[in-house]
Amino acid sequence: MLSNSPPLTGPLAEREARKPTIWETLTSERYFRWTLLIPLLVLLAIFMLYPLIYSIYFSFHDWGMQGDPTFTGLHNYRQLVFDENFLMAFRRTLEVLVICIVVELGVGLGLALLWNRDFRGQNVVRGLSLLPLLVAPLILSLLWNFILDFNFGALNHVLQAIGLPKLNLWKPSIALFTICGMTIWQWLPFSTFVLLAGLKSLPRDVFEAARVDGASRWYTFRRLTLPMLTPLIMIIVVLRSMWLIRLFDPLFGTTRGGVNTELLDWITYRTSFVMFDIGYGSAMAIVSWAVTMALCLVMFRQLMKQMAPRT
Amino acid sequence: MLKKLFFWVITVLVLVIIVAPLAWIYLTAFKGQADLFAADLRRFVFFKPTLENFVVLFRDYDFWPNLLNTLIVSVVGTLVTMACSLMAAYSFARWNTGGGDILFMTVSTRMFPMAVAAVPHFVFFKMLGLLDTHFGLILLYVFFNISFATFLLYGFFNEVPKEVEQAAMIDGYGRMEVFRKIVFPLIGPGLAVTSVFCLIWMWNEFFFAFLFTRDDARTVNVLLSSFWGGLQVQYGLMTAGAAITILPTLVAAWFMQRYIIRGLTFGAVKG
Repeated sequence: MLSNSPPLTGPLAEREARKPTIWETLTSERYFRWTLLIPLLVLLAIFMLYPLIYSIYFSFHDWGMQGDPTFTGLHNYRQLVFDENFLMAFRRTLEVLVICIVVELGVGLGLALLWNRDFRGQNVVRGLSLLPLLVAPLILSLLWNFILDFNFGALNHVLQAIGLPKLNLWKPSIALFTICGMTIWQWLPFSTFVLLAGLKSLPRDVFEAARVDGASRWYTFRRLTLPMLTPLIMIIVVLRSMWLIRLFDPLFGTTRGGVNTELLDWITYRTSFVMFDIGYGSAMAIVSWAVTMALCLVMFRQLMKQMAPRT
Repeated sequence: MLKKLFFWVITVLVLVIIVAPLAWIYLTAFKGQADLFAADLRRFVFFKPTLENFVVLFRDYDFWPNLLNTLIVSVVGTLVTMACSLMAAYSFARWNTGGGDILFMTVSTRMFPMAVAAVPHFVFFKMLGLLDTHFGLILLYVFFNISFATFLLYGFFNEVPKEVEQAAMIDGYGRMEVFRKIVFPLIGPGLAVTSVFCLIWMWNEFFFAFLFTRDDARTVNVLLSSFWGGLQVQYGLMTAGAAITILPTLVAAWFMQRYIIRGLTFGAVKG
């Protein structure tokens, strides 16, 4: 490229005469933007493409970490379709997804509407409500296991003290809801404050106009507030789905996948790291990856558009 | 008046539900065996505080070394993540490199299920002897956070007007100087917020720490999880350890109030 350029004269000639070093090329105005991306792209390629290809490869094999993998074709996937445990885990994950998102949105919206005003101590309320968000889910699961224990948990002590019957929250029929409850407890502040941020940014004059026109509060809420909050609700749904599909830590300190609470990531983990059935575990991982992608990609594109800088 | 009462009843109720479990950690941590499972509500709060749990935790378990491991991994991991994602985010924000597609690809890796990555990396790390090392865990954490950090920083970079940089370049600054002297100081808050989010993510991470570390690089969360199970659950020790471990995250949550929502929504909601 350089040899084709016309010979330079003047003060620049000296600099251009020699071949630019690699460093100069990398930091030149033309290539600098790509140079800056090198670490990111290298890391992503190694840590994402490699496990993906690896998992796809082993999902067609039978391998138990010892000896040579044997090629079994689609056997693992065929087994998966008829594996009741896997299908149940899948269903439960969807259940958790729907329950958590619906409750978080519903209660979150209620709280956001309640707190959408200036009141004394609002900073304290906000600060205290946000506390659970950043605490390690694992530690919270250990804690909940203690609080909700049937025999010596604090909750049952309280219930007994006020004359109510003890609750067995870990029996198989409701343990999954307990897990949902734990997750909702931690993430309720998230939806609440996203929606509150939305409510605070709504234009006041529109609501003023609606009030002057004599629109009822319910009508205003349904026709004005909700539509304007839709983009934020979308963001909550997308992000929460993404995180909820990957629910693992809350199970670890509590049921460990027992009493009908085995979720998608847990069964994948158990198959690979407890039963050492790498081939089958890889097939599960690939399916769960594909489902996540299918579920999130569409919503995510939408989200990206919203996040793009508004210039 | 009634409305006001309703407002405060609900608010206080919500706050109690939110704070009580966290307070329970700190109460239990100072309880002796006798008070641990007491059914009497008065003894929930009024008991003879003891440091017994902490003493046993520090004396008989590797609590400090494990906490140090967590600290090393999260601090070094955050530094590396920030270095890589700062560069990438700048490139995306200034030149729209790759026309948005590369940025989208980058962000979508955040959806990548950890369970998919676990097996291949386990085998790979075992081969390279990276299991149970700080280095191995740091590498993984950097990978899991880099997309998030890049995207968050991208948002902050976009808030710096291009004109500022152009003016500086007209004044004879090189690209590197502009970055170092003009842009870098301007996105200070963004840098701080992004780092804290990475730090806390790494501080809290459990799945990979649990699978990939055993002794030398065992993180504090893995130690705490080991108090569960076996014949007896050691709640006193567990809460004592948790009380110390979650303290930084609680402090961060309190002081970053304004930025938590922005961070958690990848910058989509300013909060």
